Amino acid sequence: MAHSLIIQDQHFEMHPSGALFWVEKSTLLISDVHLGKVSHFRKFGAAVPKHAVHKNYVLMDGLIEKYQPFNICFLGDLFHSSINKEWVLFENWIAKTPSKVTLITGNHDIIAPERFEALEIDQFDELIVDGFLLTHHPEEREGLFNFCGHLHPAIKMKGLGRQHLRLACFFKTNGQLILPAFGAFTGTYVLQPQEDDQVFVIADDEVIKV
Amino acid sequence: MNREELYQVAQNWFDQQNWKPFKFQKDTWKAFLQGKNGLLNAPTGSGKTYALWFPIVLNYIKKNPQYKTKHKKGLKAIWITPLRALSQEIRQSAERVTADLETQMTVGIRTGDTTAKERAGQKKQMPDLLITTPESLQLLLATKGYDKIFKDCSAIVVDEWHELLGTKRGVQMELALSRLKTISKDLRIWGISATIGNLDQAREVLLGPQTEALENSVMIRANIKKKIKVKSIIPKKMETFPWRGHLGLHLLEDVVPIINNSKTTLLFTNTRSQCEIWFQKILEKHPEYAGEIAMHHGSINKETRLWVEQAIRNESLKAVVCTSSLDLGVDFAPVETVIQIGGPKGVARFLQRAGRSGHRPGKESVIHFLPTHAMELIEASALQVAVKDNAVEDRLPYLNSFDVLLQYLTTLAISDGFYPNAIFPEIKRTFCYQGITEDQWQWLLNFLVMGSQSLSSYDEYKKVEVEADGKFKVNNRGIAMRHRFQIGTIVGDATITVKYQTGGYIGSIEEYFISKLTRGDVFTFAGRNLEFIRIKGMQAHVRNSTKKTNKVPSWMGGRLSFSAQMSELLRQELYKAAANDLQGPELKSLKPIFDKQREESIVPTPAEFLIETFKTRDGYHHIFYPFEGRAVHEAMSSLLSYRISLLQPITVSLAFNDYGFEMLSDKPIDIQAVLDNDLFTTDYMLSDLQKSLNSNEMARRKFRDIAVISGMVFTGYPNKGIKMKHLQSNSQLLFDVFKDYEADNLLFQQAFTETFEHQLEEGRLRMALTRIERQTIVWKECSKATPFSFPIITDRLREKLSSEKLADRIKRMTRMLTK
Repeated sequence: MAHSLIIQDQHFEMHPSGALFWVEKSTLLISDVHLGKVSHFRKFGAAVPKHAVHKNYVLMDGLIEKYQPFNICFLGDLFHSSINKEWVLFENWIAKTPSKVTLITGNHDIIAPERFEALEIDQFDELIVDGFLLTHHPEEREGLFNFCGHLHPAIKMKGLGRQHLRLACFFKTNGQLILPAFGAFTGTYVLQPQEDDQVFVIADDEVIKV
Repeated sequence: MNREELYQVAQNWFDQQNWKPFKFQKDTWKAFLQGKNGLLNAPTGSGKTYALWFPIVLNYIKKNPQYKTKHKKGLKAIWITPLRALSQEIRQSAERVTADLETQMTVGIRTGDTTAKERAGQKKQMPDLLITTPESLQLLLATKGYDKIFKDCSAIVVDEWHELLGTKRGVQMELALSRLKTISKDLRIWGISATIGNLDQAREVLLGPQTEALENSVMIRANIKKKIKVKSIIPKKMETFPWRGHLGLHLLEDVVPIINNSKTTLLFTNTRSQCEIWFQKILEKHPEYAGEIAMHHGSINKETRLWVEQAIRNESLKAVVCTSSLDLGVDFAPVETVIQIGGPKGVARFLQRAGRSGHRPGKESVIHFLPTHAMELIEASALQVAVKDNAVEDRLPYLNSFDVLLQYLTTLAISDGFYPNAIFPEIKRTFCYQGITEDQWQWLLNFLVMGSQSLSSYDEYKKVEVEADGKFKVNNRGIAMRHRFQIGTIVGDATITVKYQTGGYIGSIEEYFISKLTRGDVFTFAGRNLEFIRIKGMQAHVRNSTKKTNKVPSWMGGRLSFSAQMSELLRQELYKAAANDLQGPELKSLKPIFDKQREESIVPTPAEFLIETFKTRDGYHHIFYPFEGRAVHEAMSSLLSYRISLLQPITVSLAFNDYGFEMLSDKPIDIQAVLDNDLFTTDYMLSDLQKSLNSNEMARRKFRDIAVISGMVFTGYPNKGIKMKHLQSNSQLLFDVFKDYEADNLLFQQAFTETFEHQLEEGRLRMALTRIERQTIVWKECSKATPFSFPIITDRLREKLSSEKLADRIKRMTRMLTK
């Protein structure tokens, strides 16, 4: 169950997968997928279950079916490391996906730009669209609202009976929304919310404001 | 020389020292020279090193009559020690023998502390006698042409075998021995063990069940009876005696006269953090001890540890605060007194520590017991009986540790490679893998080569390759290098090296602790106050600080459970209290505590099973008192909370100690329903227990070690400062991936079987439940915490279990504004 959000009169939906859908622009924003991570580990002798490779594609297909976006914009760290055979899976996925795909380059994106160009994927360090600034690293800039990733945000919650939870979340400050990591095999980093911050945690198949 | 002449050589040496060899020493010499294997049961400080170094050297003399003039080079014997701190001591006794008998034999040490230069030298020419650790022995198996190194090795001695048995390092030893049996043609295998409950099994594990090696073996017992006296330090005012969490510091002043009245005192603590705190506090309250007391634990750097050990021998120290790091080996004749702070959690360990004092034969050993909370005085009382009856516990060996086996096979693959048909019979004859099936073996081989059970086109898994002739071999240098780094990490968490910014190694701390510090934080470590500056690579940089702090690094582990016998003894003491039969100073002193306990609750008799419930600002507490030891309580709490979660959606946090366990929740549990539904039944116990593990995190925790040992999670190598970019992950993530995609993976399954077979002791759980079924259940609803409950409810290390939807839980929680 997605959770909707209005920023600067534009409508957004936060999906429990970690993706953000921009309704007016029909654009799906996805951050920190870390494709190829499982294969990278396996290539270096760590036997992570290989079937886990497909999870990200299955999730992305589900989102495309649900929202039918014109555009998909990856907010960096699309690939985890250097090129490996998962690139072929990605090529196949791009070929069958009708949406226009854009990549904001992140610190993990070390694969040669030509390879993305060959797939007609545009790459940018940042994008400015109607008062919104799309980046990989969180940025603060006058007059612009920033969508970003990189941090893999999570928060800690506590309750009576010494209960603790650590949950991945969408982390919103006044001028910024940090997306959770989309990737299936990625960790999280705990952030401390301040008074004005809004936090939307991912709880199984729901997004809940806390 | 014939055997009689050889004995004479040894006898003469003893005569020269004005010593007389013990019977067990002579028995060992004889058995060894007859070519037998064996297990020597002898305590520390009894001369066990001479029992085995002598026949090793005599055997060399026998084979090389020209030994005084000609030196036959090459490795003759290996001495395995679980703690590298002990290697110096063992070397000295070996060198004494080799030199005094005028042989030209050399003695060398090879551990994690050995310099690269030394190691390279050894590679060219091995010393005759090599002292090493289980990990370093594995690393030798990872060198090319290792079979030549061990070809003429005539003996391997595994010292402190009881410490290795029941650990995965013990399994590493079993595997190394299985290989050495084949490549060393004339090998004798000896173990040395302190007294444990299952000595015969210890011998079987060492030598392999139903093997020739076991058949051709002896058990030799030193039978040195030591008189041990236990003295409890009893607080003068019981009413104000804190129940827990004060680490025993309120009794600090009672320790001072004991230290003053004795030449050297060892203060044993159970954890390294407790050790740090005690050391600080003694100095703070009694600055006059400065320079006369020291601290010793496993995370302090080697130089400091060696210095402390030497200072004990020189009698230049008044007292040393230490952990189990001083449990083993090293003989410290000048130690007159031992103080145990907090429950020792095991009779064997307690006896070993007590034996540290009054080291001369025939002298009585005195151990002072300092309780950290009132309930521990009951423990002290039970310990008195245990010491009298020598009621020591078993050390349970592991079975089917596939993680260690995978590590070992990779080790063989990076040195000379291996042929499965040659290795399978070897490992099949070890204790750990006696039950391994052909299918499991094939699974493991597939896993090594393909990282799964089938090939697929996009997969680039790379580790072990199968060469044309069927040899399994690692040809990739990166994989070999990472594997070598990984071998040493069988025991633990990721650790971070602590260094001064200006250089200078201080020690190592678990990453978990460091990750909570921010720049400028001050913490206590290695007896110093240090200011944290930054993390760089796998190192934490610090500088000295004069600020006061209460931050002390914590180390996981060190949580031992009571054995079945000890739990039984503990119950007996408690029943005495229930019958108001307060004998002995400990129980007598506890009268005010028992009175307080009776205000709202009871002290249970053998026919009663006590449950207490009450509410505090932490939530709703439900406490159960089986008095069965920590391990059983862990299992029982998991089982019971799972059964309760079927009755009502609930989230509980579980805590357990040796007396009982607690379920803490944000809403009350319906105890009447627990009783009405007969939730303590042994029916479906095993399947319920299995299911309970899926809903809590015990198996998840086990998986951490398994993932590291089997090489699926790479921890980096702290001392080398090497970090693997893009290969960092954590076992938690991996556990989830396995759960979703490969739940039938043998390593994933192992996390669950280990929890049962090793940690939870299923058999004892069944007996405990049967006992409870016969007892009357007494449920007391109290208005506040009782004395019995206090040590449990203040325990911070907890398990969790939930049968609620995440969204429902979140709605009752608040976000944390502080870390």
